[in-house]
Amino acid sequence: MRQLSSYLWAEIQKEHRHSFHSKMIYFSLLVWPVIMFVTAYYSFAPFRMGPDSPLARFVAAEQLPLFLLTGYLGYIFYWCLVQSAWQMSFERQAGTMEMIFISPVNRLAFLYGRSLSSLVEGVWLFFCFVLLALLFVGGIHPSGWWAPILAFLILLVSAVVWGGFLSVLFLFSRDASFLYTVLDEPMLIFSGVRLPPMAFPLWAKVISFCFPLTYALQLVRGLLMEGETLLALAPKVGLLAAVLLLLVITTIVLLKQAEKHMKETGNMVMY
Amino acid sequence: MLQVAKATFIRNTLVMLRAYPWSFVIGHILSGVYTVLFAFFVYHYVFAGQLDDRFILLSGSSDYLSYAILGGAFYAFAVSTLMNVSRSLITELREGTLEALLLTPSPRRGYFLGNVCQQVMRTVFEFSVILVVGALFGLTLANTNVWSAALVWILSTVAFFCQALVLGSLMLRFRDTYITQNTLFVIMAFVSGVTFPIPYLPEWLQPLGQIMPLAPALDAFRQCVIQGKPLIAVSPQLFHMAGLSLVYLWIGTWSMRRMEKRVVESIFG
Repeated sequence: MRQLSSYLWAEIQKEHRHSFHSKMIYFSLLVWPVIMFVTAYYSFAPFRMGPDSPLARFVAAEQLPLFLLTGYLGYIFYWCLVQSAWQMSFERQAGTMEMIFISPVNRLAFLYGRSLSSLVEGVWLFFCFVLLALLFVGGIHPSGWWAPILAFLILLVSAVVWGGFLSVLFLFSRDASFLYTVLDEPMLIFSGVRLPPMAFPLWAKVISFCFPLTYALQLVRGLLMEGETLLALAPKVGLLAAVLLLLVITTIVLLKQAEKHMKETGNMVMY
Repeated sequence: MLQVAKATFIRNTLVMLRAYPWSFVIGHILSGVYTVLFAFFVYHYVFAGQLDDRFILLSGSSDYLSYAILGGAFYAFAVSTLMNVSRSLITELREGTLEALLLTPSPRRGYFLGNVCQQVMRTVFEFSVILVVGALFGLTLANTNVWSAALVWILSTVAFFCQALVLGSLMLRFRDTYITQNTLFVIMAFVSGVTFPIPYLPEWLQPLGQIMPLAPALDAFRQCVIQGKPLIAVSPQLFHMAGLSLVYLWIGTWSMRRMEKRVVESIFG
């Protein structure tokens, strides 16, 4: 356990030095998400709002800013991890990927350490923004004092598992930016970040339930906006746990396959 | 100059086909397609087609889907043009070919012309695919004034090219593409009327949209496509775009020259 935590810590430190060498990084951590959130809010301006608007079937008009804020908070959690996984390609280019796999380090510690690092570092700024914004936005109805903490934990755990899964996917591809496009933006549309998935047609609902962010956001909104009790949320928590377990198993299987391939061909860079 | 342009065109096409297998092209297309999907979902499934009265007044039409889909397609086109041109010199720097390029007696105008022509080939393809997908999801092209729209499109390419020169020199200055380009793109998406008319923004933010060539270009293009207006009817937007192009061209050529000198001095000593 001690060894595992030292691997995790080492990976977190490495990623910190790698990503935080310039103050420009704060643009991607704070400025972009804030502008994207405001753009999303104004995208609804061309539609009829108010209590009798069709939107009220899914979200009350006064809760729209809060709906978008929670959506974007969840999205930024996950987005940081898509970024981190995308940067896996730099390990290939720099030739450090093979060195990591030659060392006796625990592979899962490497993957999840990577995710955890970018998450904690990437999210805190936007998290502060959301906390501040929540103070000025109406419509908050938390389940209890523990609701924000539980919501944070749900986002943290699910995002780290998702990040580990993505990093493994990137082990199989040389053209990583393509996967980035395929995975990042659909999450923004289908996971209920900007639109309630309940409004979607069946085929889009099927896609939306492939992303763990959909389940995580349902829970977070249940906790912060609808004041649902733990008992009422239990089935949703169970569903999210099942999805995450499936992701962890897939991650382990894929990781073993990638490593087996590396051992056979002696090459990790050109999968 | 034309020989240099031709050589650059051929080289860039070969690079696109062999070295970077379609990543950016597919990325831009998908990005436009996602905007189409978002507009379709929000209009049909979330708001059941009920628009705000001001939208019809501000956009001059009640066809939200065409408005948003054209916005998404045109935004993808602007991003693509800006990226392909502005990244050209810094890519040469990263790949180690900038020194060779600067050493040759080729005029820079020819080099950029070749770049633009090559990227026009790409953006025409990207734009057409997004429009075809958009047509499946509710884009109406029946009233389009084809010649006016095509001309606005060409003039927009010129305007985006001029803006790309400024962006490119900023990239060379900061030795960065990721932060510089994406900061500009998120601001452009916000203030240029891509998914909603600019007057919805607070008054103090609206002038920011007016310094982006995307805003008048998109406005003119929408009027020609959705309402079928002739070129003369969109002349205020075209003059606006021409004015911005001249300013960006002047700043761009001046700063690009300075940056080239700076790069030569700081890197190649």
